[in-house]
Amino acid sequence: MSEHNAPAPKSSDDPAFMLPASLAALRLPLCVGGLIVMLLGWWLASDIGDHGENFGMSVYLTAAVYCMTIVLGCLFFVLIQHLVRAGWSIVVRRIAELVMVMVIPMGILFVPIIASLWVGEGTLYSWDNAEYGPDNGLPADVWDEKLRWLNQDWFTVRTIGYFAVWTSLALFFFKNSVRQDKTGEKAITDKMQYWSGPAVMLFSLTTTFAAFDWVMSLAPMWFSTMFGVYLFAGSILGAHCLLAVASYVLQKQGAMRDEVTVEHYHDLGKLIFGFVFFWTYISFSQYLLIWYGNIPEETEWFYIRQIGSWGSVALVLIFFHWMLPFAGTMSRHVRRKPGLVCAWGAYLLIMHYVDVYFMIMPSVEEGNAGGVMGVVASILCVVGMAGLLSGLCLGLAQQNKVVAVRDPRLGESIAFENF
Amino acid sequence: MSENNEKKVHGVVAEYTSVDTLLSACRRVRDAGYEKTDAFTPFPVHGIDKALGIKPTVLPWIVLGAGVTGTATALVMQIWMNSIDYPYIISGKPFLSLPAFMPVAFELTVLFASFGAFFGMWALNGLPKFSNPIFTDPRFDRVTDDRFFLYIDSKDDQFDRSGVEKLLGDTETDYVQTVVDDDSSDKVPKPFFMMWGLIVGLSVIPLLVVLKMRVSHSSQPRFHIFYDMDFSPAKDAQQYSTLFRDSRAMRPDVPGTVARGEEQANLNYMTGIDMEALTALDPSRAERLVRRFNPYFQGETDAAQEPSSGEAASADEPSADEPSADKQSQDEPAKAPAVAGDAGDKKADAIQADAGDAAPAAAKPSVMETTPWLDSNPLVLNEKVLADGRKNFGIYCSVCHGMNGSGNGLVNVRAQKIISPDWIQPSSLHQETLYADKYPAGKLFSTISNGIRKMPGYAGQIKTRDRWAIVAYVRALQLSQNASIEQFKDIDESERARILKEQADAKKALQEKADADAKAAKEKADADAAKAST
Repeated sequence: MSEHNAPAPKSSDDPAFMLPASLAALRLPLCVGGLIVMLLGWWLASDIGDHGENFGMSVYLTAAVYCMTIVLGCLFFVLIQHLVRAGWSIVVRRIAELVMVMVIPMGILFVPIIASLWVGEGTLYSWDNAEYGPDNGLPADVWDEKLRWLNQDWFTVRTIGYFAVWTSLALFFFKNSVRQDKTGEKAITDKMQYWSGPAVMLFSLTTTFAAFDWVMSLAPMWFSTMFGVYLFAGSILGAHCLLAVASYVLQKQGAMRDEVTVEHYHDLGKLIFGFVFFWTYISFSQYLLIWYGNIPEETEWFYIRQIGSWGSVALVLIFFHWMLPFAGTMSRHVRRKPGLVCAWGAYLLIMHYVDVYFMIMPSVEEGNAGGVMGVVASILCVVGMAGLLSGLCLGLAQQNKVVAVRDPRLGESIAFENF
Repeated sequence: MSENNEKKVHGVVAEYTSVDTLLSACRRVRDAGYEKTDAFTPFPVHGIDKALGIKPTVLPWIVLGAGVTGTATALVMQIWMNSIDYPYIISGKPFLSLPAFMPVAFELTVLFASFGAFFGMWALNGLPKFSNPIFTDPRFDRVTDDRFFLYIDSKDDQFDRSGVEKLLGDTETDYVQTVVDDDSSDKVPKPFFMMWGLIVGLSVIPLLVVLKMRVSHSSQPRFHIFYDMDFSPAKDAQQYSTLFRDSRAMRPDVPGTVARGEEQANLNYMTGIDMEALTALDPSRAERLVRRFNPYFQGETDAAQEPSSGEAASADEPSADEPSADKQSQDEPAKAPAVAGDAGDKKADAIQADAGDAAPAAAKPSVMETTPWLDSNPLVLNEKVLADGRKNFGIYCSVCHGMNGSGNGLVNVRAQKIISPDWIQPSSLHQETLYADKYPAGKLFSTISNGIRKMPGYAGQIKTRDRWAIVAYVRALQLSQNASIEQFKDIDESERARILKEQADAKKALQEKADADAKAAKEKADADAAKAST
């Protein structure tokens, strides 16, 4: 099989494994510019409507949840690759590892969200307002039960807990992987595989509850037990899209040109295709059960999302988050063209934002849709936050390699071929 | 090889010892322009399709087509079944509700696509194929172990036996062999026929058993595979149950059950009676009414702790209270004087009232007349209330009272036609005794709720609010047949004049028609008389 044996991995200090200088130069502009644009968007959003601070916080939460889902998706990508002992993905795994460490800055970016509970009265989460229950005619005993879970102390403790878990997981897997860059020990791979099982369990519990807390509790009386999976479906889809886009950009700038091949894009494309449908499957299942049951306390969430302009957004999701990319990434010929895989990845990253927007923004008080200005402000906010995180991520990438250079199975990954 | 000349040649096969030699041979064969080729290896070899120049398969298109067919089949099937052929309301959804069709559409898409993939692969590979001439070569057995084979089919356009043999001989092989027809018999071995016959024979047995059962009788009881599916332990309507003390399988409502939408129980609203006035007039009856609508009511007196026997009975049996009282007093007025003799005793009075006769003394007017009924409809009257009243009147009342309230609904028409002996003609709602001044709104509401004479009470079927809406609609009906223009103060003069003129014209036309009819009748009578006299 001589023809099929790709060349043995290059030595670990090969320039192909370093962050290209053109990207490294973007670190500072991205960090500073991102921060400014994010704050600008947030500030603009806070001026919209009668309850501007509520709108502003919702826009900020949308941006934060969007970035968070992608960071968590990357964390899950790393965990699942170790769990199933995947060989093909080693060349792109480091990108996911770099992104998952961004959970630490995300923790800082979440401070304003927690602070909104302590400073204001229901500025972001309506349950934080003591009058919410009586105002909405909820029986006192029911509302009291609800408040035992949704109160600012316990909510803060939980959020800190989630970040503690994710930070520990991210650092454990990142540090071990980086250590392997120097030592090349197989024992490190074994250790990471050993711990990936418990890590996945921890991950799934924390993300589910985080989705309940951060997003579902915006409509305090609404509940959907599969909401966590719904958010996760978009999250894992976003992570694969980001990997495709990042690999493509890195290769364009000269890094890992011989390592990531069309076979890896083909696999990423397959996973993107699969997760597009997984997202559809999960979101439609959630909708179908609630639609069929037709119980007022369950339909409330969808009701406001299918009337007026939100109904159009729902249709946009059906056609452009499912049908178009589903048809577009179905063909093997598309998935074997890195440029097209990257384009679909970038497209789906945008659609994922529409999805997160659709989850959060209709819950803004008094149905304040914000108009064009609201959309512009929220785009500024998320672009800024994503830019800031990209800048930080590039900084981390510059201090490390962009490929797990001494992973014992790197050669296997480079030689990987689809049948 | 010469001894094989007379046999049909299927192709030429060459053996290789490694993947590399196989692949380079494949490329040579591909470059020489052969298309109907195949390679056999003990394990999947990367890139062999490229080396052989195999074109991408059309299988994905077959799968796509099958999948789309599945989606379309599922949607058309469900739309046809549930929206067109047999429209049936399921779970209150529209006949054509796409979300409900999605799961089936999804499943059929997957099913058809899988079948498309599986059988499409069969078709493209020419399967099932039980034998291949290449198997006759004993060396070919090692293809599952450690040898690689390359095969060029004789169906290839370029096939030329000696040329192919030369081409293959030039590659790194030491074994080239022509594949010819199998020497062995192409007859199916006998045991296969026997097995086949046995299977067919066995599969007929169940059919025979069923057929015999269809045409024969048996004294044995039927065999129940799932006994509790044939004899469900669940009770049917009106069956008894030993589980409860009252032996009823159908459980009555738990006392105090309040139907949805009936929570804001205002007693005046629920009964059509001015309860305050009734309390002053007849406290015990007021209390019974309160208990009927609120079983947890604790009276201000000690009545709750020490109820008189009559009141205790009525509290336990709320259904025996108002409806029967009203009904009987109207239904059998002749009996009232007969029981009137006991009227002296207060206690007996109360018991009788409970038992249903609320008109103890002949001198006293009936309870229907003394009850302080509400004079006006408690609903705020608007178009919607009237529309609801009209709808419910159409559903519940019109069958007897007729759509216009004249008392000649379909049931009455039928009863007259068959001359039903115990039929009581439904009242016309247009008689003056039922007008608002003689028959207050509350009384009408109570009649609808509790019934009168043969008419049953509708409290159990029509919501309180809708019963009041019917009251409003009945008033509108009465007005429609007996309105006078004097009742409408705010009509402008020209409109009033127009209506009056129309009225006069109509009256005149009627009068003329009546005159003409009378004249015709008279002429006819005269003619008949003349005829008779001649």
